[in-house]
Amino acid sequence: MTSYLAWIEQTALSVWIRESPSYLAFPAVLILHTVGMAFLVGTAVAVNLRVLGLARNIPISAIARFFPAMWVGFWLNVLSGVALVIATPAKALTNWVFYVKLGLILLALLNGRVLQNQVFNDPAVDEKPVSTKGKVLAATSILLWVGAMITGRLLAYTYVRILSGD
Amino acid sequence: MFEALQSWLEGVRWLGDTRVAEFVNDSFWAWPVLEDVHFLGLSLLVGAIGLLDLRMLGLAKAIPAAALHRFVPVGIAGFLLCLVTGALFFTSKPALYIHNPAFYLKMLFIVLAGLNVMVFYLVAFRDVERMGPGDSAPVAAKAIGAISLILWVGVICFGRLLPFI
Repeated sequence: MTSYLAWIEQTALSVWIRESPSYLAFPAVLILHTVGMAFLVGTAVAVNLRVLGLARNIPISAIARFFPAMWVGFWLNVLSGVALVIATPAKALTNWVFYVKLGLILLALLNGRVLQNQVFNDPAVDEKPVSTKGKVLAATSILLWVGAMITGRLLAYTYVRILSGD
Repeated sequence: MFEALQSWLEGVRWLGDTRVAEFVNDSFWAWPVLEDVHFLGLSLLVGAIGLLDLRMLGLAKAIPAAALHRFVPVGIAGFLLCLVTGALFFTSKPALYIHNPAFYLKMLFIVLAGLNVMVFYLVAFRDVERMGPGDSAPVAAKAIGAISLILWVGVICFGRLLPFI
């Protein structure tokens, strides 16, 4: 694994993101990751709060129209996240907390899929109160995305090496 | 102007010697926990206010704009979380901020965002309250919404740049 990580570290892209003094390199990637997180977690929390009963005068079918904002944030984070791993692959991939984060993201996506089917895809969703199952899924969604955010921040405090040779 | 602000904040450098500062600096977990709460706060803020702004700009037109005001308390709660955790960051390590241009720019953008909110309530609020499903926002509301998004993204940018400057 170490040689594979070292190989990534020596690529021009990795070196540039990691070592360039330009604000357009590492700082910009972090900024994009934070902005993406704000829209991803922010939209997810807002939509799920509606499912849980806040702002009941907004039809569920209407609040769902905000999902594009969430997905823009999500894909921004996939791209910037990949860039961060390319910059310091050893720092991420030898840190068990990183795998917890990926697991929480996967669970959030799967949970989101079930929530989508249970609540948003129901053609009669605006005609009755949200089911308890739907509310549990919404609450779980909030916890999973916030969990992903927390584990992400903790990466800066739990890594054991920055470069594969460390 | 920048020098005046710096010398003014130099006057509160003593915050770094308080017991709160000592606690935060001695504890391994205090700073990461504060950061996580800060991030949660900013996500709630962007989620609530950002969605309102996006509605002004035409997303989710099925929603009558006034209905989104129910999310404003969520946004305010997020802002307060950021304010408190931010104050604790500053208190614990004033040296990181007092001479950091990114810090001043971040505070400036927050003040501008606050002024933008005031402009909204003075100029566009009444028209926005009357927006039904499918209605477009008046031009003033669109401008205010766009400016709000730009300012809060700017706040995030400068916040993220703090350790690099």
